Amino acid sequence: MQPPYYPVNDFGPLMKGMVVGGVGIFHVFVAQFAIGGGLLMCYFQWLAMSGRSTEARRFLESYFKFLVLLSFVIGALTGVGMWFTTIQISPRTIGLMVHEFHWLWATEWTFFCLEVVAGYTFYRYQNRLSDPARLTLLVLYSLAAWFSLFWINGILSWQLTPGGWTESGSVWAGFFNPTFWPSLLFRTVTSVTIASLVACVVINTINTLDRAQQSALIHRAAHFLGPMAAMPLLGLWYLAAMPADSRTWALGGSVAMTLFMGMAVGASTLIGGYALIGLLRQKLYINGATATLLCALAFVATAGGEFVREGVRKPFTIRQTLYSNSITREEVAHLREVGCVTHDPYPLQHAAAYPQEQLRLGAKVFRFQCSVCHTLDGANGLTHLAGTWTVQQKRLNIAKLQHTKPFMPPFAGTAKELEALVQLITWHSAGRPQPWPVSEDPQVLAQIARWIEEAGTEPGGHGARYDLVAETR
Amino acid sequence: MNATFPFGFPGPTAFYLTAYVATLVIHLLFMNYVMAGCGYLVVAGIRADGLARTERDVSIAAVLRDWMPFAVSAAITAGVAPLLFIQILYRHPFYTANLLLFHRWMAILPALIAGFYLLYVFRSERVLGWSPLPRVLVILGAFACFGFTGWSWSENHLLGLRSGAWAELYGSSAMTFRDPELLPRIAVWLLGSIPTLSVLVAWQLHHLQSHGKAAVKAGEPRRLALFAMAGLALTIAAGGWYYGQGGSPLRTALTGQLAGPYAAAAFTGMILQGAAWAWQWRGAELTAKPLAMASTGVVLTLCGAAVVREARRLQSLDASEFFEEHRQAFAVGGLWVFLAFFLVNAGLICFCVWIVKRETRRAPAS
Repeated sequence: MQPPYYPVNDFGPLMKGMVVGGVGIFHVFVAQFAIGGGLLMCYFQWLAMSGRSTEARRFLESYFKFLVLLSFVIGALTGVGMWFTTIQISPRTIGLMVHEFHWLWATEWTFFCLEVVAGYTFYRYQNRLSDPARLTLLVLYSLAAWFSLFWINGILSWQLTPGGWTESGSVWAGFFNPTFWPSLLFRTVTSVTIASLVACVVINTINTLDRAQQSALIHRAAHFLGPMAAMPLLGLWYLAAMPADSRTWALGGSVAMTLFMGMAVGASTLIGGYALIGLLRQKLYINGATATLLCALAFVATAGGEFVREGVRKPFTIRQTLYSNSITREEVAHLREVGCVTHDPYPLQHAAAYPQEQLRLGAKVFRFQCSVCHTLDGANGLTHLAGTWTVQQKRLNIAKLQHTKPFMPPFAGTAKELEALVQLITWHSAGRPQPWPVSEDPQVLAQIARWIEEAGTEPGGHGARYDLVAETR
Repeated sequence: MNATFPFGFPGPTAFYLTAYVATLVIHLLFMNYVMAGCGYLVVAGIRADGLARTERDVSIAAVLRDWMPFAVSAAITAGVAPLLFIQILYRHPFYTANLLLFHRWMAILPALIAGFYLLYVFRSERVLGWSPLPRVLVILGAFACFGFTGWSWSENHLLGLRSGAWAELYGSSAMTFRDPELLPRIAVWLLGSIPTLSVLVAWQLHHLQSHGKAAVKAGEPRRLALFAMAGLALTIAAGGWYYGQGGSPLRTALTGQLAGPYAAAAFTGMILQGAAWAWQWRGAELTAKPLAMASTGVVLTLCGAAVVREARRLQSLDASEFFEEHRQAFAVGGLWVFLAFFLVNAGLICFCVWIVKRETRRAPAS
């Protein structure tokens, strides 16, 4: 029942989620470009070999070079980087994911190998291959790239909707979970959209083409923006498939998530509107600057969507199994008995900065339970969130944390640890004065213990009806 | 651990250990190509001649320069599999070492990206017209980036073995880990990459020559043989240094029942390589027989070294702590799907190579 202890790193004023989110968004954008890019190149190869477009071949060379330089280097390395970054943020989460899905990850790896070989053989020998051979290599490359999405999509969507896995532990019940298909289809449409927008940029850089040739290629590439029309439906399907409380965060329950959701929807609508009306219906020409701007909008939409996907899992990182602070549901009761940092072998860094032992204990509790999502006075800082609360409010709100904010996990420690955390936040909010009195009134600790007991160990959210006002009285 | 690797462990542990070592060896092949290849190109970069393939002939440097970006890509892709299995085998120590090295560890990602792009720059035609200094700086930069990555991996590996040092290192906020084994260990891996590269590039040159695609530049086969033999001699010297610094866990790993036979295999492989390169040195052209003999030696050495490396780790960790985790991991589904797709995709990879071979035979390079 004792959780494993890992050293916890301090990212300064940066929230850890921002770090993993930053790397993740960048990787997703590049990886989706590679997937859509493969499909787009198959289309252009077909156009070239069937005589439908005389310029398609020149485009293919430029586009594939761009794809190789971006996706084979940055795409591959940020993919590995996602593993390393997730280890930095939440080793337990990635550990459980690898434990459950390592054979599916290994399967994805076989597709990576195919992707690299098919891609490089095309890259090196394209000018010496016949058209059918070129198309075969491109189809294999695209297939491998899309299947890598297929496998990773099941693992990522499992985090939000583990489906039958929670009861049966079956890897397939977890993989083909309720959000698997809407997420896969949505990401496929996103991939071809990004590929098409990047194509518009690349076409503008080929200076051996005249304006009419560029225009012809742009309108061919714009065909890949057509599937965007399905995005609203796919998005609604995805929303409908996610748990009710998660849906609530995205639709008004959490301001940050609603804003990011709005950002994703807004940016997608702008791209979709321009694509469907301007490019496909009115057949407008799109210059390099506009195409780059649309790519930037696509990046914003990806960023918003990824933030929402990560955020709506709260208070879990793996729903119903592992809370966002890497404590399992079963461990909460145990840690309330023995203390959450009693067995933590790692000392406090810069321990001398704290004037007394209780604050040092509070700092260790903060490090173990809060620091994955919060800083003390940086991004999502506790002093900003709770600094103006009275001491008594802090005690109550943290003791009943999952009811104070349903996207927070329950507090998993003793009354003494909770009081130490309260004192730490208060001390920080007061400008870290030296000295600071120790708060050890037995009556206060007994009251905190009662509140913790009343809060229970289950998560908050819908169904956990709790009248905080009445309890405060 | 009274049985030879991987016997003596419970089934799931033995299975994951074998999978880890097997995939690590594949990764090592490409990694060695990149490390030693960059080192070779640093020297070759000082003189521009030989960096490009001419109409008449091809040199070692030209082949390396041409293939290096692919080798990095292959090394990274091949590295994903052992990275996956290590998380099953030694999750807690591996994650802890990652966390303790923090920014220092994460810096391998921008370093790899920078190294990768520098190789693309070095591969471009424009580089040939540059003066020696910027040209050497480009490839030296790539070499430094990959060297930094190797050094960080060694540090991470050794830190994972020293659980007694974790709390103190964390408390000190230091992001580097000094260990007596570190430098000799890096020396062994770095110098040990030379013989592997030599065999791989020798086959590439042999292929070009035997298929009539290009003549190998005069003197290159002998230069390669010398390079390989120097690499072998330096690796043995570094091995002796490592043996002296490694303490009892390393010595037990080398001589104990667990990996002793593998250490012997690794050493036999080196003798085989030495003999093969001496044979090759006497000929003016690269020939298949000594190269096949050297290749057998490389495979023996790499497999043996990878198992000794693992035995050294198992001497320091209480492997029985992980047995239950391995058993549980082995019980989750998906293995058959992996095996099926492994076969299908291996077939498709062969198909890609076959298509290219068939087509390029019809349309030789202009």
